[in-house]
Amino acid sequence: MAPAQREIKKVAVIGAGVMGAAIAAHVTNAGIPVVLLDIVGKDPADRTAIASGAVAKLLKTEPAPFMSPRNAKLITTGNLEDDLKLLADCDWIVEAIIENVKIKHDLYAKLETVRKAGSIVTSNTSTIPLKNLIEGRSEAFQKDFAITHFFNPPRYMRLLELVSGKQTAPDVTQTLARFCDVQLGKGVVRCHDTPGFIANRIGMMWMQAGLNSAEDSGLAVEEADAVAGKVMGFPSTGLFGLFDLVGIDLMPHVSSSMAGNLPKTDSYQTELRESPLINKLIETGYTGRKGKGGFYRMTKNGAARLKEAVDFKTAEYHPVQPVSIASLDAALADRKTGLKTLLSGTDKGANFAWGMLAPTFAYSADLVGEIADTLVEVDEGMKLGYGWKFGPFELMDQVGTAWLADQYKAKGRAVPKLLEIAAGRSFYRVDGGQLQFLGLDGNYHDVKRAEGVLLLQDIKRKSQPLAKNGSASLWDIGDGVVCLEFHSKANSLDPDIMGMIGKALALIGDGKGAWKALVIGNDADNFSVGANLGLVIFAINVALYDQLEEMIGTGQQIYKALKYAPFPVVSAPAGRALGGGCEITMHSTAVQAYAETYMGLVEVGVGVIPGWGGCKELLGRQLENPKLPKGPVPAVATAFQTISTAQVSKSAAQAKDLLYLRESDGITMNRDRLLADAKARALSLVPGYAPPKPHEYKLPGPTGRTALSMAVHDFVTAGKATPYDVVVSDALAVVLTGGDTDYTELLTEDDISTLERKAFIGLCKQDGTIDRIEQMLNTGKPLRN
Amino acid sequence: MPTYTAPIDNFRFVLNDVLQVGDTFAKLGLTDATPDLLDAVIEEAGKFCENEIQPLNLSGDTEGCSFENGVVRTPKGFKEAYDKFREGGWVGLTADPAYGGQGLPHTMSSVLDEMVSASNTSFGMYPGLSAGAYRAISLHGSQEQKNLYLPKLTDGIWSGTMCLTEPQCGTDLGLLRTKAVPAGDGSYKISGTKIFISAGEHDLTENIIHLVLARLPDAPAGIRGISLFIVPKFLPKEENGQVVAGARNGIFCGSIEHKMGIKASSTCVMNLDDATGWLIGERDKGMRAMFTMMNAARLGVAIQGLGLAEVAYQNALIYAKDRIQGRALTGAQAKDKAADPIIVHPDVRRNLLTVKSFVEGARALGLWVSLQLDIEEHATDPKEREAANDLLALMTPIVKSYFTDAGFEAANSSMQVWGGHGYIHENGAEQFVRDARITQIYEGANGIQALDLVGRKLPANLGRSLRRFFHPVAKFIEDNKGDAEFGELLLPYAKSFGKLQQATGFIAQKGLVNPNEAGAASSPYLRMFALVAIGFMWLKMAKVAKAKLAEGSDRKDFYGSKVKTARFFITKTLPETETHFRTIMAGAKPLMDFEVDEF
Repeated sequence: MAPAQREIKKVAVIGAGVMGAAIAAHVTNAGIPVVLLDIVGKDPADRTAIASGAVAKLLKTEPAPFMSPRNAKLITTGNLEDDLKLLADCDWIVEAIIENVKIKHDLYAKLETVRKAGSIVTSNTSTIPLKNLIEGRSEAFQKDFAITHFFNPPRYMRLLELVSGKQTAPDVTQTLARFCDVQLGKGVVRCHDTPGFIANRIGMMWMQAGLNSAEDSGLAVEEADAVAGKVMGFPSTGLFGLFDLVGIDLMPHVSSSMAGNLPKTDSYQTELRESPLINKLIETGYTGRKGKGGFYRMTKNGAARLKEAVDFKTAEYHPVQPVSIASLDAALADRKTGLKTLLSGTDKGANFAWGMLAPTFAYSADLVGEIADTLVEVDEGMKLGYGWKFGPFELMDQVGTAWLADQYKAKGRAVPKLLEIAAGRSFYRVDGGQLQFLGLDGNYHDVKRAEGVLLLQDIKRKSQPLAKNGSASLWDIGDGVVCLEFHSKANSLDPDIMGMIGKALALIGDGKGAWKALVIGNDADNFSVGANLGLVIFAINVALYDQLEEMIGTGQQIYKALKYAPFPVVSAPAGRALGGGCEITMHSTAVQAYAETYMGLVEVGVGVIPGWGGCKELLGRQLENPKLPKGPVPAVATAFQTISTAQVSKSAAQAKDLLYLRESDGITMNRDRLLADAKARALSLVPGYAPPKPHEYKLPGPTGRTALSMAVHDFVTAGKATPYDVVVSDALAVVLTGGDTDYTELLTEDDISTLERKAFIGLCKQDGTIDRIEQMLNTGKPLRN
Repeated sequence: MPTYTAPIDNFRFVLNDVLQVGDTFAKLGLTDATPDLLDAVIEEAGKFCENEIQPLNLSGDTEGCSFENGVVRTPKGFKEAYDKFREGGWVGLTADPAYGGQGLPHTMSSVLDEMVSASNTSFGMYPGLSAGAYRAISLHGSQEQKNLYLPKLTDGIWSGTMCLTEPQCGTDLGLLRTKAVPAGDGSYKISGTKIFISAGEHDLTENIIHLVLARLPDAPAGIRGISLFIVPKFLPKEENGQVVAGARNGIFCGSIEHKMGIKASSTCVMNLDDATGWLIGERDKGMRAMFTMMNAARLGVAIQGLGLAEVAYQNALIYAKDRIQGRALTGAQAKDKAADPIIVHPDVRRNLLTVKSFVEGARALGLWVSLQLDIEEHATDPKEREAANDLLALMTPIVKSYFTDAGFEAANSSMQVWGGHGYIHENGAEQFVRDARITQIYEGANGIQALDLVGRKLPANLGRSLRRFFHPVAKFIEDNKGDAEFGELLLPYAKSFGKLQQATGFIAQKGLVNPNEAGAASSPYLRMFALVAIGFMWLKMAKVAKAKLAEGSDRKDFYGSKVKTARFFITKTLPETETHFRTIMAGAKPLMDFEVDEF
């Protein structure tokens, strides 16, 4: 039986520095009130200036720590002398003060006097062992204490390392794990009480080995980052981009602190060496992005900005050159065996890759058991904390454990223990549709998901799709619910996806048979970036306007069929849901959105207007919006404002403000729980389900356009809008004011759809739109023509 | 004996009435290229071709080039004719005045090329190759190289070649072996064997400037390791302040080929033995340099196909009007004669009109494409230059391949009109067929052109080049929809255009998934595209002709014939697009599911 849970209804964060303040902000994102305390400031008139200043700063920080600025009101600020009493009713106190064990001890002693019995205390330390932190504390305190190590920035970095001590009460660990997972949306990874826990321990080794190897292999910085990129699934910043991001001046401190905490025999000690280049960069103020630059710097060449990279030997900067390394080119050409191809090479790229990965892999393999129970936690830690696409063990499986063991032998390195245990077997395997990992005991064990986690990748291991084409699939996710998964490039919407929606509608039928509901969701970073613009521009280029109009019409029909399907349709967006991707969610019965969902009708950015019912739905919602003054004019103006400026929500919460989401739509904090929540939502809608009533529109027609048009012209005069914005806005205004209508006429959804279609095609025939689409496809950035 | 009359009226019609090049040239700042001057140039060029080089065509074919002790002699009369051609300033017609050229628009080059090819294709090879060398040096050479070579090439006293092909490599230049070793003084020592080198050795000029592709010792393997070199037959030297041909260089003709056609053009094996050469452009970037001049070179070959079709047609037409044989199916037409001229017969007319409608439509298309060379070079608006380059890039493989395929077919159909007499050398018809055959092969075989179209031009910039063709056509259709009388031509055309749009979408989609699909569709697609493009020209020409007739022009026959020829093309030739469309839609499987043993 699972240990009982404690309740967390109010949280305190002590320390309003960068991490503490941002943790406080993120707790409010879960709707939970927070007390934020720091020391007394210098100004006697405002003794809590430090904490309140931190909140003010949070509101200006980008990317925003708050999912909605409103959340700032949930924070009560105070100082550690006058306001300790505020802690008395807090269920969880997070300490995020300076990394000094003495100061922490003093604080904990104070906490003992004010905290309520049974409240949980954790530290956000990244370097001090738990056993040192609890020295001298009461037994009760020791039971209620653990380490919760957040990564920066806490809202966006999904990893939370959770460390329990021997004395920590099981329900404390359990409560924290559950709360941080469900309420804060973190990927909670259990770690042992060892220096650097998991992610920084392995991560520091990786960075050090990478730096050493790059210096030894004679690569240029940009070459090293190209090698340590796509093939290995490392983030696009690259290794040296990461140094710049973290701050080069921090590295010697962090590495010597890490080394100081580790035994002399640890392999990190052997890998650690001073880098003359790093010293020189720090001396000359090249401390990374916050300084003048670092391994990279941007220089201005007239109007153009030029990216330069530093040379390992001379410390001079040179313009970043296109990279061509035979082993890398070969690896990129062959996605399946890319990493092995790279490591099998004989050139400097291959040497660098081996020099970086060999110590990293060995270290990871040797530390399983010491820093975490299993290799799964190690992989999770690196994926969630360092943004690796694959964990070290997943990478090792890509090259094969037997091959890797041979390489270690051939190159005169010891074969890591776990590789010997594997004895040629993979670290992960799928057995009977179940993902398993290799334990230290040499046996395979199931990879267990937390309760309430449903991942499409697990479904896929166990079953065949109900239907599948190049861009989408249908999956049975249990209990009569079908899941529609997009898997086109960037999940862009194309005729194959439209076809698959049609298949889903046909399969589920009246919803009274084997299938009851549809969930639209996927495991990808982005739900959908919208319509496939490549198809649009191609159709335009070949002047296939009829086919384009048909494509828009088909989309409208399909979305309409979804909206009025005889069964509930629940969309589960996460990441970007833009353009057509936003429109499909707007045609769903309900939406269960991941908290980090960025929604927007962004069509004007490419010179068109929402053509798949985005105008129709947003206008319908605004006309029924009780918060707006009566009459159609404010509704039209609000919808016009949202669409004509291509507003994208910075969170699901903000999507509600923009009415991309309705008040009744749900938000899930943890990405891994999204599909399960969406499924539950769908099932809850099944009993007695009836499709929604269509919107009706009474619109001003041409007379209503003047005001909208004047507003846009004012923006052009003020330099906030471009000449072509006027053209696009005018087309949008025609749609939103109902075309040739007036208040006496009642328009239907189909009428608005027709206006959308005509406006869309009309714009596609203009050069300004073509230029916008081309620029977006070529550069990923909108053209402001 | 075959004859040739330069189609001056047709050039004028296309340039002045249809393309209205005067406006374009004026806009481009080519103010010297006034309509009057261009008219005079066309007339003079026509006379020269009719009187000086056409008479050498048949004899040149009979005699061919000769090779003896490393010396190549062109047929009798060629040297004299070439000297006159040179002295007339025809070699440097469109060359930069800074190097002694006449600076006329490139469009005029296409006009001249057609007349030269029609009169004597072999003769045209020599200045044609020089033009290629001129273009390469002017685009990629250093100022010093330009100063040294361009005046001579412009004048024609020196000629040029392009040395690409080797025994083991034709289409795939990545396999190239010729080596260039730095000599230490900035020059290179080049060794290797080049084959199929047109104008590689001859007796027309004082010096021959070879442009040679070769590989540096440390160059990357494959296509990315090829550099371009200038290798003169005689090393230039200064004498009394004049550049003259100096010491003999180590590049020699080993033999000449015995060929099916263009026999008066020398096709040489060139042996390089430590020949001195100079790098032109960047090292290892030779292919890029080649690419920039390929459009012009391929357009030149397209025009050869067109010129041969024109001259074949002219002679077949004379014969068809003259030759009496049998009676018209509906009863005697020439009752005073023993039989009717064969032109009364529908099928003879079919042969002739198929050629006529191709030639006149292709001429307009070729000149429209040539005009892009001028816009690309002279327009001030970068967007306009980009659009011109797009259209040029898109249409180059289409005209190269289609004009030469159809040109050969045209020569063949024309020969058919002659009956048995067409098979006899003296009548000239069979020479046109033989001369035309090579145009389908060299400068990128036509299958390669089709691959270039679907593999490179279609997907480039997300199909942006396509817009340069499809948008003007779509607009033309839209603008003329209301003209009920024009509908006779416009409606069937619009159908074919729609099929081309569909096929384009089909190939783009299928080709992404499976390149063999694009490859399988490439040739029928190229032909379909060419037919629709020529059809577009016919619509434009018919519209102008109708307007002229409506204005009461006194040239009723000329304009009336244009309208009728447009009708013939739209109703009798353009429907071939239907067949091509169906072939494309049949996909790659019927080709690809054969195992090699099953052939």
